Amino acid sequence: MTTELGIAVVNGIFAGSVYALVALGIVLIYRASGVFNFAQAEFGTTGLFAAYAGVVLWNLPYWLGLLFGLAAAVAMGLATERLVINPLRNSSRVTLLVGTAGVALAAIGIQFWQSNEQPIREMPKIVEGVALQPFGAAITWQHLITLGVLIVVALALAVFFRSPSGVAIQAAQQDGTAAELVGISVRRVSMMTWAIAALLGGLAGVLSGPNLTFTAGHLTFGAGAALLPGFMAAVLGGMRSMPGALLGGIVVGVIEQLGSLSLFGYMSGGGEMMLFFFLLIVLLLRPQGLFVRKAVAA
Amino acid sequence: MALLEVSDLVVGYDAFPVLHGIEFTVEEGELCVLLGLNGAGKTTTVATIAGLVHPRSGHVRFEGKDLGRRPPSARVAGGISMCPEGRRVFPRLSVRQNLRLGAWTRRRQSKAVQRQLELVYDYFPQLAEREGQLAGTLSGGEQQMLAVGRALMSRPTLLLIDEASLGLSPTVVSSVWEVTSRIRQDGTTVLMVEQNAGALPFADRALIMEKGTLVYTGVGDELRAVNLREAYLGS
Repeated sequence: MTTELGIAVVNGIFAGSVYALVALGIVLIYRASGVFNFAQAEFGTTGLFAAYAGVVLWNLPYWLGLLFGLAAAVAMGLATERLVINPLRNSSRVTLLVGTAGVALAAIGIQFWQSNEQPIREMPKIVEGVALQPFGAAITWQHLITLGVLIVVALALAVFFRSPSGVAIQAAQQDGTAAELVGISVRRVSMMTWAIAALLGGLAGVLSGPNLTFTAGHLTFGAGAALLPGFMAAVLGGMRSMPGALLGGIVVGVIEQLGSLSLFGYMSGGGEMMLFFFLLIVLLLRPQGLFVRKAVAA
Repeated sequence: MALLEVSDLVVGYDAFPVLHGIEFTVEEGELCVLLGLNGAGKTTTVATIAGLVHPRSGHVRFEGKDLGRRPPSARVAGGISMCPEGRRVFPRLSVRQNLRLGAWTRRRQSKAVQRQLELVYDYFPQLAEREGQLAGTLSGGEQQMLAVGRALMSRPTLLLIDEASLGLSPTVVSSVWEVTSRIRQDGTTVLMVEQNAGALPFADRALIMEKGTLVYTGVGDELRAVNLREAYLGS
């Protein structure tokens, strides 16, 4: 039982790293545009498809393929901001939400169209092999790299949001008109925010893809589906907290894995069921999220 | 040449016209107060000068140049800064971060920004005492001081202040106006929007608006003498 629990926790932490990357992007966009971004996971799948094209189809060096994948994700984020979010900036949040769902569906459609002849694909790992085996859990180098990237990203975001540009982003998120009045270009800030969120989604895609075979919509509803757990992680973190989203991702990953223990009879969908129960309890007892301090009024 | 020249300004929101061709000037070094009741178009006037709203027709000229459709950020860099109605401080940022953001267009001139910060703390010593505190936790009066201080951080040639007295106690309002008067004495031109006629003693000139038009322009004392306060602003 202890070994089984250990394996579940270790696997949960690594799955949670990908959820945390998705959740960080969701929180960033929510704070900037006030919208749940349904296309967040598609930034990742698009990045993964582009990286696959670079590494496998065009035989680029792996690092160059990854960069190409991340660049494709960022380009998709910027295009979404310019072509969908900016024109709809004065519309209701529901309209914006439907707009991002439209972007996700369009991206999935393009992915199906492009991968029609070979629907199931396999991306090679950055480094093959198992690195560690604590509690009998096989931790691959790919898992370690993913966790490492999450830690580096978290530190980089913490530093960035204390820099003048990061403080300007926070200001624009808190009051766009006041930000314009001190000379901050809210348009640029919005583009920068979507680019960063898309980069986070792209990282989730290119890092999780090599763990599994992947298809169109990989991070949305495919084998690596991270959109729903990413949303849950963001909600657990209070929707506005970056550290909350990060910890929420890890918590969601671990809880999901705990649902697969023999204690629950290896029930199909046990992880998801446990996750939804957990989210329900958290929302009932602590609707502001698990990791949020008291709100400050304007 | 006037520092600010507003001519034939027509502004509206969707189908609703708000300003019907107003014209006025503000001279360098003046403290002007734009008075009027709710809905007179005062906020729309300063929002248009700040670039938040674009006119349907007419011109806003600053230092002789037509501002056209320049965005607010370009106007701040050019010397026009606005302290908006309702304070609009950044609630989850500290007092110091709010003030430093006020100098966003001059952020690479770190020594000059530091000097300006010290000047703002000299105007509002309470802000210095609370510089590490989140702006959202300040009292209404302190938030108003922060909003004026933040607008000053860009070292504007023209400072626009919209309804500084709204929702504040008479003592706090009076101290904000006194500092505004000091800011003018130190060389910054000020255009202040007010519903509160108590601002008149601090102003060199008053402009009175009613239903989107300018109905009176005169010096503060003259305005009191002809008793226009009752005529246009009510008792």
